[in-house]
Amino acid sequence: MSSAQPTLRKLDDLLDSRLMAKLDGIDVMSRKIFSGKLQGERRSRRRGQSVEFADFRPYVHGDDLRFVDWNIFGRLDRLFLKMFLEEEDLSLIIALDTSASMRSGSPDTFDYARRVAMALAYVGLVNQHRVSLVGFSQGRVERASNLRGRRKAADVAQWLLRQQPEGGSGFEEAMRLVGTARQGRGVMIVLSDFLFPEGFEKGLGMVAGRGFDLFALQVLAPQVVDPSREGGIHGDLLLVDAETGVETEVTVTPELIRLYRERLDRLCGAIRAYCTRRDIVHLVVESSTPVETLMLEYLRRRGLLR
Amino acid sequence: MSALTQILSMPQILSMPQILALTWVTPLAGAILGASILAPLVALWFLKLRRKRRVISSTLLWSRSLADLRANTPFQRIRFSWLLLLQILAIVLIAVALAQPEAEGLGASGGRHVLLIDRSASMNAMETAEEDGTTIDPPIARLALAKEAAKTRVRALLGGGWFSKRASEVMIVAFGSRAEIRSPFTDNISTLESAIDAITPTDEATVLSEALELSRAFTSNLNVADARGEKNELPVGELPTIELYSDGRVSDLATLALREGEGIVYHRVGTADRNLAVVAVSADRPPEQQNRIQVFAALVNPRTEAASVTVQMAIDGTVRAVTPEKITIPAAAERDGQWVPGRAQVVFRPVEQPNNASIEVAIVEDDALRDDDAALVVVPPAKKLSVLLVSNGDAFLLRTVLEALPVERFATMTLGEFEAATAQLKPSGYDVVVFDGVAPAALPPGSYLAVGAVPPIDGLTQFGSHEGVYPRIAREEHPLFRAASIDELFVSKLVAVQASKNFEVVAECAEGPMILTLDRSDLHLVYLAFDPLDSNWPFQRSFVNFVANAVEHLGRAGESLTGRALTPGEAISMRLPAGARNGEVETPDGRKFTCTIDPDGQLTWGPVQLAGLHRIRFTPASGEGVEMRLVAVNIANADEARIAPRSELAIGTQTVQGVSVGDSRRGALWPWVLSVGLVIVLLEWWSYQRQVRV
Repeated sequence: MSSAQPTLRKLDDLLDSRLMAKLDGIDVMSRKIFSGKLQGERRSRRRGQSVEFADFRPYVHGDDLRFVDWNIFGRLDRLFLKMFLEEEDLSLIIALDTSASMRSGSPDTFDYARRVAMALAYVGLVNQHRVSLVGFSQGRVERASNLRGRRKAADVAQWLLRQQPEGGSGFEEAMRLVGTARQGRGVMIVLSDFLFPEGFEKGLGMVAGRGFDLFALQVLAPQVVDPSREGGIHGDLLLVDAETGVETEVTVTPELIRLYRERLDRLCGAIRAYCTRRDIVHLVVESSTPVETLMLEYLRRRGLLR
Repeated sequence: MSALTQILSMPQILSMPQILALTWVTPLAGAILGASILAPLVALWFLKLRRKRRVISSTLLWSRSLADLRANTPFQRIRFSWLLLLQILAIVLIAVALAQPEAEGLGASGGRHVLLIDRSASMNAMETAEEDGTTIDPPIARLALAKEAAKTRVRALLGGGWFSKRASEVMIVAFGSRAEIRSPFTDNISTLESAIDAITPTDEATVLSEALELSRAFTSNLNVADARGEKNELPVGELPTIELYSDGRVSDLATLALREGEGIVYHRVGTADRNLAVVAVSADRPPEQQNRIQVFAALVNPRTEAASVTVQMAIDGTVRAVTPEKITIPAAAERDGQWVPGRAQVVFRPVEQPNNASIEVAIVEDDALRDDDAALVVVPPAKKLSVLLVSNGDAFLLRTVLEALPVERFATMTLGEFEAATAQLKPSGYDVVVFDGVAPAALPPGSYLAVGAVPPIDGLTQFGSHEGVYPRIAREEHPLFRAASIDELFVSKLVAVQASKNFEVVAECAEGPMILTLDRSDLHLVYLAFDPLDSNWPFQRSFVNFVANAVEHLGRAGESLTGRALTPGEAISMRLPAGARNGEVETPDGRKFTCTIDPDGQLTWGPVQLAGLHRIRFTPASGEGVEMRLVAVNIANADEARIAPRSELAIGTQTVQGVSVGDSRRGALWPWVLSVGLVIVLLEWWSYQRQVRV
């Protein structure tokens, strides 16, 4: 199921201009309201000095008299402070699995994940969000942090094109590093196949519940979803795990395929159940799904984009 | 035919301790096939598949699936595979099918079959339970069970069925002490069933040899001489399978042997073993009490635990005595490898019975076989004899003995007086005439004890004498020798005689006859071929007893005091008054048969089949009225009393395991085994196809 050499060499390969034009009109939507570092285009739960009125509260000693609502004082003869929603920028973190297992299938899972990451990052950049990219493999992370504005799209593309899948994922350690080094709250999208020998639970647990609006995009090659498809596996094989090197002798039979599918369904079901319990959006996407369809339909329906 | 082919094709009736006795027709063929294919098959599974290496994203979801369907490298550790298991199973089943197993309890097998149905006394035992413990109510005679099983077998043999060859022909033979063909080889089921239904019970002993010979007579042929000029019995076509329906209590089992290629299936009938029997009964009139009868009986217990019974004695159907206490019969035991039944004797106190009578001694307690619980003896009326001693006047010894006998009249004559009295062969008027060293010119009708001189009878010729002889053979069961052993007899001078076939030699020495008897309708003779004074006999007590026995024997015209009871299978042979006619025999079950009586009054009828009192009726020469004689027939057979069925029969070198009649339909198993094997082959193929199809 491993694919040929990557064909992505430049920004256009990651994100063509036609899709780019379509993405200009959409924005990243967070189900949560976060506080940011800079005043931006997002509403923040922190009451502040924006123009959008939020609430009143009784005046206490020490409050800034500038925010006292004198009209109410005139009518009620009591001091109330006007509370405003402070508008902040949104932090968008895209975590890309760069372990060796991502290099599989046709279309290639890793290339597809990079194109999705590019599209998501582009949406973030054009909407003036603070975009961070995190590549993780073998427990290490490689970052491209705090990018903002359309002009940074080329930087994002360069960073993505530089990534090559290798080694194991070290998902838990990588997520621990991401979780602890967060720079402001925001939306976090994990792009991975979630085929971790050590399991996904601990890794997701490192970032779940830390304030991120978390999306888990499980990217699988069509041949991984159904090995009996063209380009899948058949016959008597010695299967070698791309990450661990573990060898497994198989004689592919319909019964074995059925068993494989059962296990995959069980794994995806377990991920979905885990995510539901922790308010994480889980979405399985085959690498054959057009990126445009994913961005403009699936992710919109799931509330990530609007 | 090569030795191997012979082995492969030889039917082998093997014993197996299962209820379903399997028979392997060609066991070696199956073994050879199994061994030659199984080993290479397993070896193939040691071959290993060289697999194509393929890197995938993760093996997390792939389980090890080693259903190798092809192999191209030498060796691997063998591992479990359903395919291998199915292949081994299929080969084993095909090998088993090739060995051609046959089982009791399924269908029919082809060929010719002879059904031998035992109808001896022990087959009259009443069965109250089947082998599995099921109660039979009301009880059924063992013979009825055997007949039912035989009919079922006939239907199975001739009915055919799936995978079963239809038997070509079946023959029915019923046997007790004699064998009868009830139906020759036929394939007509109704004829065979009628023949089986018509088999009636008997009280005979079980003699299998005649039945076997009879069945062989129909299947073999006294054929042309072989290369050495010896005539051989050669089989006519295919040898039949002999199927024996019996309880296995065969008296001549030790003398039997099966011929080469001859198979026998023993259908074991019955389970009952509770039985006691009266095997002997005799009666005597004490010398001083001629109007009384004393009865003796012998009881046997064939079981391995002792039994206590009450015994009664009935005269002419009326119970006259019952044992005051229970008689304990010890248990049967093995002694020196021989089975010896427990025995007990019963002696009843003398009872008044001056007339003739039939005496029955019976065990009161109930058991499985009633027929041998009673034994009969017929006693003629009390009669005092008249005896005449004819001598030259110096017969001191015989006169002394005869005078001491309890006779009604005793007289002496010289030879001249006797010849004068019996001129023109007129009967002497004495019951018994004793010639001591003399012989008349001619013998009138009558009964004679002749001592020394040879009496003038055709067929008895003197040709000299022998000196210093000892008796070698004596018929000790003859009434003459009751309490009169001649083991220690020495004769210094013996008259050498040559006797015709009409004479019976009851004692003889190496040189020739010593004591002879003649039993004709008009003349009865006991001839002692030596003068007692030329022997040591007068000094022995047996001499007196012998003379007394001889007088009794002759005085009752061949009938001893207690008429000898017959056993089933023997013929009734009785001397009636000359001129008797219209003979009729009534058997114990009430059936009547006419019988012929020759002009001398000799009646012969039989063989008798049932134990009990047989009544012989005839019209005397005078034509007035009807006279009757009684003949007792007793089973009196300790072997038949042992009714517990044999589990197996040792015939010659073969041991044939008994098959319960409940499971006694025999048929080929191999088609079923082969079918299962083929189904498994299909299953294996389907399984393989399922695995290779991706």
